[in-house]
Amino acid sequence: MVIRNFCSVSPLSLEKATNSTAPEVDPRLLKSIKLVVRSSDSEVRLSVQTLMEKMKRDHSQVRYLALLIIDELFMRSKLFRSLFVVTLDQFLSLSVGFRRHLPLPAPPAVASVLRSKAIEFLEKWNVSFGIHYRQLRLGFDYLKNTLRFQFPNLQQNAARIQQERREREIRSKEILLKKFESLKENLSSIKDEIQLTIDEIRECLDILHINEDGSMAMGYAEEDVEEFRCSALQQIRLDSLREGEKVHENSDNKAVFDVLKELYKVLVMRHFISVREWISVLVRVEPTDTRFRDSTLKEFINIRNCLQSIKQSCEQSGCSLPNTKNHEEEDLWEEGKIEAFANGSDDALNKPSEDLASASFVNEEKSKAPDCSNKDSKGSETVVHEGDGSDSTTSLKRVLLADAPVMSWGSFLDNWGSNRAVLANQRGLELESHWGRVDYDASIPAEKIAELNVQAIMYKEEQVEIRPCLAPLSKGGLCQRRDLRVCPFHGPIITRDEEGNPVNQTPLIDEKTLDLGTVVAEKLAKQAVKNVRGRDKEEIKKKENDRQSLKRAKLAKVREHNVTVLREAAIASTSRSEIFVGDEEAAGGNRLSVREKKQTLASMLHKKVTSKDRLAERLLNTRTRDATIRQLTQGEDASYREAYPNQW
Amino acid sequence: MWKEVGDRETGKRRPYSFANRIRSDRIDSLNLSNYKEIVSVHRGAINTLQVFESVFRVFRVMSQASSSGSGSPELEGVFILATASGRKKLKDDIARIRDKYNIPESVYIHYLAKDSLANPFGETTVVYEQQLAADLRFPLDPLVEEVLRIVNLAHGQLHLTFCRFMSKVDLTEGRYLLSGASDGSAAIYDVQRATDHQEGGLIAKHKCIFVVDRQHEHGHKYAISSAIWYPVDTGLFITGSFDHCINVWDTNTTQVILNFKMPGKVYRTAMSSIATSHMLIAAGTEDVQVRLCDIASGAFTHTLSGHRDGVMTVEWSNSSEWVLVTGGCDGAIRFWDIRRAGCFLVLDQSHSQLGRRPPLLERSVTKVLASRSLPAGQSSFVKSRTPQRKTAFGNGAKQLPIYRVPSHTKGFMGQRLHPGMLSSGDRATAHYGAVTGLKVTGDGMYLLSAGSDSRLRLWDIESGCNTLVNFETVRLQTSKALQLAITQDSALVFVPCMTAVKAFDVWSGQTSLTFRGHYEYVNCCWFSSQDQELYTGGNDRQILVWSPSKSEADEVEEGSSKGKMSAMDQDNWSD
Repeated sequence: MVIRNFCSVSPLSLEKATNSTAPEVDPRLLKSIKLVVRSSDSEVRLSVQTLMEKMKRDHSQVRYLALLIIDELFMRSKLFRSLFVVTLDQFLSLSVGFRRHLPLPAPPAVASVLRSKAIEFLEKWNVSFGIHYRQLRLGFDYLKNTLRFQFPNLQQNAARIQQERREREIRSKEILLKKFESLKENLSSIKDEIQLTIDEIRECLDILHINEDGSMAMGYAEEDVEEFRCSALQQIRLDSLREGEKVHENSDNKAVFDVLKELYKVLVMRHFISVREWISVLVRVEPTDTRFRDSTLKEFINIRNCLQSIKQSCEQSGCSLPNTKNHEEEDLWEEGKIEAFANGSDDALNKPSEDLASASFVNEEKSKAPDCSNKDSKGSETVVHEGDGSDSTTSLKRVLLADAPVMSWGSFLDNWGSNRAVLANQRGLELESHWGRVDYDASIPAEKIAELNVQAIMYKEEQVEIRPCLAPLSKGGLCQRRDLRVCPFHGPIITRDEEGNPVNQTPLIDEKTLDLGTVVAEKLAKQAVKNVRGRDKEEIKKKENDRQSLKRAKLAKVREHNVTVLREAAIASTSRSEIFVGDEEAAGGNRLSVREKKQTLASMLHKKVTSKDRLAERLLNTRTRDATIRQLTQGEDASYREAYPNQW
Repeated sequence: MWKEVGDRETGKRRPYSFANRIRSDRIDSLNLSNYKEIVSVHRGAINTLQVFESVFRVFRVMSQASSSGSGSPELEGVFILATASGRKKLKDDIARIRDKYNIPESVYIHYLAKDSLANPFGETTVVYEQQLAADLRFPLDPLVEEVLRIVNLAHGQLHLTFCRFMSKVDLTEGRYLLSGASDGSAAIYDVQRATDHQEGGLIAKHKCIFVVDRQHEHGHKYAISSAIWYPVDTGLFITGSFDHCINVWDTNTTQVILNFKMPGKVYRTAMSSIATSHMLIAAGTEDVQVRLCDIASGAFTHTLSGHRDGVMTVEWSNSSEWVLVTGGCDGAIRFWDIRRAGCFLVLDQSHSQLGRRPPLLERSVTKVLASRSLPAGQSSFVKSRTPQRKTAFGNGAKQLPIYRVPSHTKGFMGQRLHPGMLSSGDRATAHYGAVTGLKVTGDGMYLLSAGSDSRLRLWDIESGCNTLVNFETVRLQTSKALQLAITQDSALVFVPCMTAVKAFDVWSGQTSLTFRGHYEYVNCCWFSSQDQELYTGGNDRQILVWSPSKSEADEVEEGSSKGKMSAMDQDNWSD
């Protein structure tokens, strides 16, 4: 009883499942189909038949959904497989479309998806069941070796990637081990070197700080008192305090500073990086004796911390690297110190050293760059931003910025304000890639450069809206000609109302200049009369409109009545149709919207070609054609060269 | 099936009809074989296939003292079943055979003519080897029963149940498949012994034993259109090609021993399997004339003219060794008696008769048999060619129908023409368009022809009439010669229909089986009646094997032995 019930359900549910525009089968429907098919062998037979019929439908979407269902059942039922493979060649020609006289049907987008999916499924089936079904092997072999279809080759690809990854890991491990071994050998020398640098830096710092001890202590004491202030302000204050505390470079300690800078550079550029590398090597390496690894790791971490503190004290005493790249790396490495360090770099920027000029120049450029898009707001913002750093320099700057012109960006900015001569023909490279004489002395004078780099500005026309003529035309409508003063057909352009009747404004304009009282009164009277008439006309029009709309409403009412009467009659005639009518009513309410929204299988067949598509197609066509022509000629060339090696 | 086995055991069913029943059951279950896989070496369309079926078979009968199965079996005797021609050949070198099949001098060799058995068509029959070995209570093939009857007679007390083994000694029968392809290559495959097994014995791959192709110094330059075995043994095979050549190859040395230059592309070659007195290759070419090439002398012996266009297909009669049938691109099918000039019959599609002539059937069978056994018997006695030709002439003349001379040629050309050319004016056609395939039934009484008009016609050779059987062909390939195959009892004909092969009932024309597996057009098929296997070759360069599906008992056995492998192909309902 149950089985017989299902028998009628299977084709129906298959029909329903394949009749949709969705990119996949409704999972609930699919589940029910599987349940039904599983119930008996006859169901399996029936489903094979029905699905093959669906595959023959002249619509790629139907075929695609059928293909998805086939895959589900194929992977599950043995009977399904054994029945299905018998017609595999037919199935493949319907899903892959390899026969020239049987191309895939209409929606081309779905058809290509269908093809790729079918090929993917065939590969999957062949991998898992190929040894049991000769037909699968045959089909796969034919598509792959005879028609040269590209299979996704999932399994092999995955295996290959795995293999590659493994190899890479092994290689990197070997490298790590090698590094570790070398570290073992010259650990002491590395440590000694670092220690030496640290000691020297310490000495330098000591020399610098000897005479500043007293004031430092005072500063810290003051700081303790003012704890209650908000942290930002405190920070600012602290910064400025420190700024004051700083030992500035002067003629006395210049030598010490130079040494310190040199050492700092070595510290940052070499030791820091090498220590970091060694730590990462130690963390990643898996040696046989972990004890050595752990101990050295500990040592390196200590060294690193030591270096960090030294570095900080260096920076406090006014050393910094001009290139910002290093700072960024630092940030990545030590997250805990970002804030303090950022302050430090700010200090470095605002410090009145020789760095300032270049830094401010950079800033200026930065602020200029966005200026070309939106005008003043950004610029002022950057000015304000700069203002909160330090007062004395920026107030001047603000004044300057206020009356500095805003320039759009261009290549002339590269040589802004420079008055250097530029060397020419230094490398001996002359025109057209030929090497020529080298003239080391040849140079282009700065004036010439300046001449060459004159700022270029595109002329921008002011957009003026030209009014249309708007005179009434004999065929109806208004004249849309846009002339400046006089329309060649309708004379001078004047303001007109909606219907094209001239509104006499010219006298109104003239009125101010002429200032004649009588004329004004006349004009006003005329205008008033006209206005009244216009109002009357409008009223008449409105009335007419009202009448028409009333009529329409009446007609609609009559029609509605008719429909309801007819519907009632229909309901009375059959009991079943009631449900149908109910449906109709429900659907009728938003029929319009449904028509707009709902995609049907038929609608998928209509191709929507936009102008963009057309253009793209043309472009592609010419491009591919060119490419193939080029390829072919290249091939010819090559073969010719091969054939006659001593003649070309 | 088991009901019929029971019937046979109780004696209700005759052995011959039982064997036939089994055979037809096996044919009905033909399916694309997953187990046998021929690894095609060809890089072009397969145009022709042939499995060697010899004219004699050797059996070795072993016996055991008791039915318990202990003790090694003893050799009781050796039986050679042969057609008349095969027997003649065998007598000449009996020592070679003893040596080849390892038969001691003490064992006597019995000879059995195939046509001396109760089998009306003198066909070879199948021995179910493994079944015999397993249980002799299983009913036997009539041929085997005949052998055993003689064994019983010879040894008096030897009982059926003590006879434990009866194995085929002759290993060439139905074993070697010859194929020719469009890339000019011909290859030989062993279809009974696989070269290697894969996937735990689930797939047996048959790789070619050797291949001769363009690289060979005497290989064909262009497509091979026809490759056939020398009918007596596997020592020779013959290939015809589009490069206008027919080569005769020595199988063992893979060298060309004879080469015939033809006037045009060779479409089809044929040798008579029943011939005892000639070794002629009939060749249909682009040229209008059919030529007969003699292997013995290496020269053309006959040039048969009558066709108005190239000759697509040639076929020797199965009832007389002198009769040749040719089908041309002009749509004509002509019958030639090679002892006489000209053709004696041109088939006309409008000349028809309904049905199968049941009353005539019995008579014609006896007649055919009589006419066939006579020259065979003679040939064993008479060595010289002249008297034989005389007797054969008399014999053949009886067989030949009256020459039908078309009326319109009679008036003014009749006197001048050579009597052999009389029928050359007969423009009757058997098909609209070219005749692409011909096949004579096993008893030599009917002819099946395929044409480029997508029709299949069954002709009664005796009367030369179209029997008007309507074959349900959809479409046939038109540009190439087709190779048809027919079962031995002439029940089914296998026809390549575009990408599929269809099996039609010969007498009703209904489609009984459809074999879909090729992805491009199928050109040729060969039915091995011994194993009931169908081999097909097509433009997709594949040779497919269609074999009877295994019985359930076999499958159970297999399943238990390879439990792991078969577990993979199971239902897998996760939800």
